[in-house]
Amino acid sequence: MPAAVLIGTVGYHNLRNHSLGPILLPELQRLPWPAEVLVEELNWGPIAVVQRLQTETSLERVVLLGARPSSLPEGTLSLYRWVGGLPGPDEIQARIGEAVTGVISLDNLLVVGEHFQAWPPQVLVVDVAPGSEETGASLRPVVAARRPEVLDWVRRLALEGPEAAPQLLELRGDTWADRQIRELSSPSRLETPRWKCSKDV
Amino acid sequence: MCFKNLPIEFDSSGRATLKEGVSDPYSYRTQSLHEEQDRLLELLARNGYIRNVDFDPVTRVAGALAFHSVVDLENRKVLSTNSMATLFRGYEVILKGRDPRDAAYISSRACGVCGGVHATVSALAIEMALGIKPPPLGILIRNLLLSIEYLYDHPLHLFLLAGPDYSEQLVSATNPTLYEAACRAQTRHGEMHGYSDVGQIMRDLNPLTGKLYVEALEMTRVAREAYVLIGGKYPHPQSVVPGGVAVTISTSVLNEMYLRLQRFVDYSKKAVGIWDEVFDFFLEHNRQYEYLGWRPATMADTGVWDRPDAYDASYENCASWGEARWATPGVLVDGGLVTTNLQHLNAGLEEFVEHSYYEQWEGHRFKEDPNGLPLSPHHPWNKETMPKPGKQSWRERYSWDTTPTWDRLPMEAGAYARLYLTAKARKLPPSRFLETTGASLRIQLPKAQLPGQLLEWRIPRIWNALERNRARAYCIAYSTMVSIENWLMAQELLRQGETRVSTRFDIPSKGSSRGVGFWGAGRGFLSHHLVIDDGAIGNYQILTPSTLNACPRTPWGTPGPYEEAVLNTPILEDFDEPDHYQGIDILRTIRSFDPCMPCTTHIFVDGQDRVVTREVTTCACGVE
Repeated sequence: MPAAVLIGTVGYHNLRNHSLGPILLPELQRLPWPAEVLVEELNWGPIAVVQRLQTETSLERVVLLGARPSSLPEGTLSLYRWVGGLPGPDEIQARIGEAVTGVISLDNLLVVGEHFQAWPPQVLVVDVAPGSEETGASLRPVVAARRPEVLDWVRRLALEGPEAAPQLLELRGDTWADRQIRELSSPSRLETPRWKCSKDV
Repeated sequence: MCFKNLPIEFDSSGRATLKEGVSDPYSYRTQSLHEEQDRLLELLARNGYIRNVDFDPVTRVAGALAFHSVVDLENRKVLSTNSMATLFRGYEVILKGRDPRDAAYISSRACGVCGGVHATVSALAIEMALGIKPPPLGILIRNLLLSIEYLYDHPLHLFLLAGPDYSEQLVSATNPTLYEAACRAQTRHGEMHGYSDVGQIMRDLNPLTGKLYVEALEMTRVAREAYVLIGGKYPHPQSVVPGGVAVTISTSVLNEMYLRLQRFVDYSKKAVGIWDEVFDFFLEHNRQYEYLGWRPATMADTGVWDRPDAYDASYENCASWGEARWATPGVLVDGGLVTTNLQHLNAGLEEFVEHSYYEQWEGHRFKEDPNGLPLSPHHPWNKETMPKPGKQSWRERYSWDTTPTWDRLPMEAGAYARLYLTAKARKLPPSRFLETTGASLRIQLPKAQLPGQLLEWRIPRIWNALERNRARAYCIAYSTMVSIENWLMAQELLRQGETRVSTRFDIPSKGSSRGVGFWGAGRGFLSHHLVIDDGAIGNYQILTPSTLNACPRTPWGTPGPYEEAVLNTPILEDFDEPDHYQGIDILRTIRSFDPCMPCTTHIFVDGQDRVVTREVTTCACGVE
């Protein structure tokens, strides 16, 4: 049966809360999914993921699980619908530059996928604010406590789609910080870019 | 005699010893950088046209690299340079004390682009330490995997990272007259790439929209598909193990791989044609481009692609199996061939930390290599990684990179070094597709959709940024034809019923052994030095191509390769006032090395359990 739904986990390994996706992947894979649902690690580079998606032509929905660095309190659970939109070309090129050189980032994945029109009609994101970075193979208690809820949301969004969560927030690519990274770096330091969502939880 | 600076001499039978009568053979004099920095500060204060120009981060490179320069914009000269690796690669620390079998999987994570070669070099080091010789098919399959890795890496760098520097968007923004001239310049190899003028090529090099950019992305897919047929996944393969590979190889798998490989036959012709057009145009339009990023051709390479009838994994025989490789290992100093012997390459290596955020280690455990060649206390087998974060200062310490040297000389690394050394050394094994002349490497590409073509890469008169990239384009053809040569040999072994791809081994729980893996990454020289003590990793040291290229100054003041190349670069950009200066010549120079500052590495700040993965927090502003 062709796959209709792809669940993908994104994130570095061994960074505690920041590794939410990789940590929960085995549990997600053990859940009893219908045949049309695939569960995969999507850490291996946005360009490769785009090329993978281009081979799964029957997909209707992608559900991404990760922990996007943010200023939200640790453990804040956010559910998003990716509504597209793109930053400027220089910024896209910068995201692709990171994509092909090994940076693992859910944000990069979203914008690179959008640029190459790889996404199916529905792209939903389950995101848990990770708080500060820390080494380790396990989640910190605050995020670990939300584990059942997170798994449940991934399951519901995968099986029911956006209707499962009327409170979905919008996540879009054209709200990148106003500053555009210039193709040629300026003498001053470039700030680390941040994504914005349309409203915070 | 290959060493001019290290105190090692050889007798008539080739036995190496330390020179007699030298009381402290490995001592060196350090040079203070204070005077130079004081002079620069004075110049900066006195002259408005002399400016600090900092690139932080340098974009379109892998990982965290920052670059500081002082530029005289009136006389169009670079006065001072500092290359900064802004992240600590902690793999040496992470690996210590672990089971050696973990090394291939963990060290693979040192790079998000070329993890396959780290896994392989790790396997090679263990093979040497424990005396494990893979079966012939295992060796050939490893060769295939790694040449495919290069086929992923080279187009990626040429068209996605460095390529935009030569695109219409960048050239018209920084040298508008050059772009106008390009639109009038007729091409010479139109039958191979389909372009009639250089301006068209530049437009198709534009990021995101250019056809050549998009095509290169597609070719990375083809290479990755070929790789995962055997590697399982990429960039962190699961099937590369000490003693060979952990997969079953069949004719159908090889055929699937060939379907992907053969696409690179025509792509090679096109890529070489494209870059020959672009660089010939630059050089003919303005001869000063010969000096863009030039430095003497002083390079080191490990060689790659083992011959199954030569490789036995031993250190004792590494001089002979190294020279039997399809790419010859060795050292070039100012274009002259100094050695092709892996033992000499190994014995001449040292690492210094005077300008790096590390503490100097004590001790000199290994005074000789297993063959009796003297080893410095700064040799990787003797090195300890002791991170010591501190204040950034051009006068003292400014990088997480160490300063590796060979015979006390900073060495450049790159895919091009394997081309240069192989062409120069004339030790290439008999080949259906490759031939060396001492001044060039000839690559016979068969007919595919495009007619067959004999490509010839010639050693350039001046080693510069354009020639680095040109050579990298030829490396696509080189890697393709080595792949096909190995593919044919693998098919022949299968036909003979030889299907073994790995050798079983045990790790002794007692005793010590050491090994070194030598194999080039897509970006060149890569070594893993390993010591096993009582069944666990006692020491592990990784030297990557960018460790060599991005290094800070030597203790005696010699700049590292990036630093030297940028210092030598003329400022050819068009600008009417200093505020409009963008620095394209400096960036073209740095990117020509294909920098790769492993970007998925983590900083462990002692005592704080704090990790930084991606965000580069250095700022060169205000640094003294």
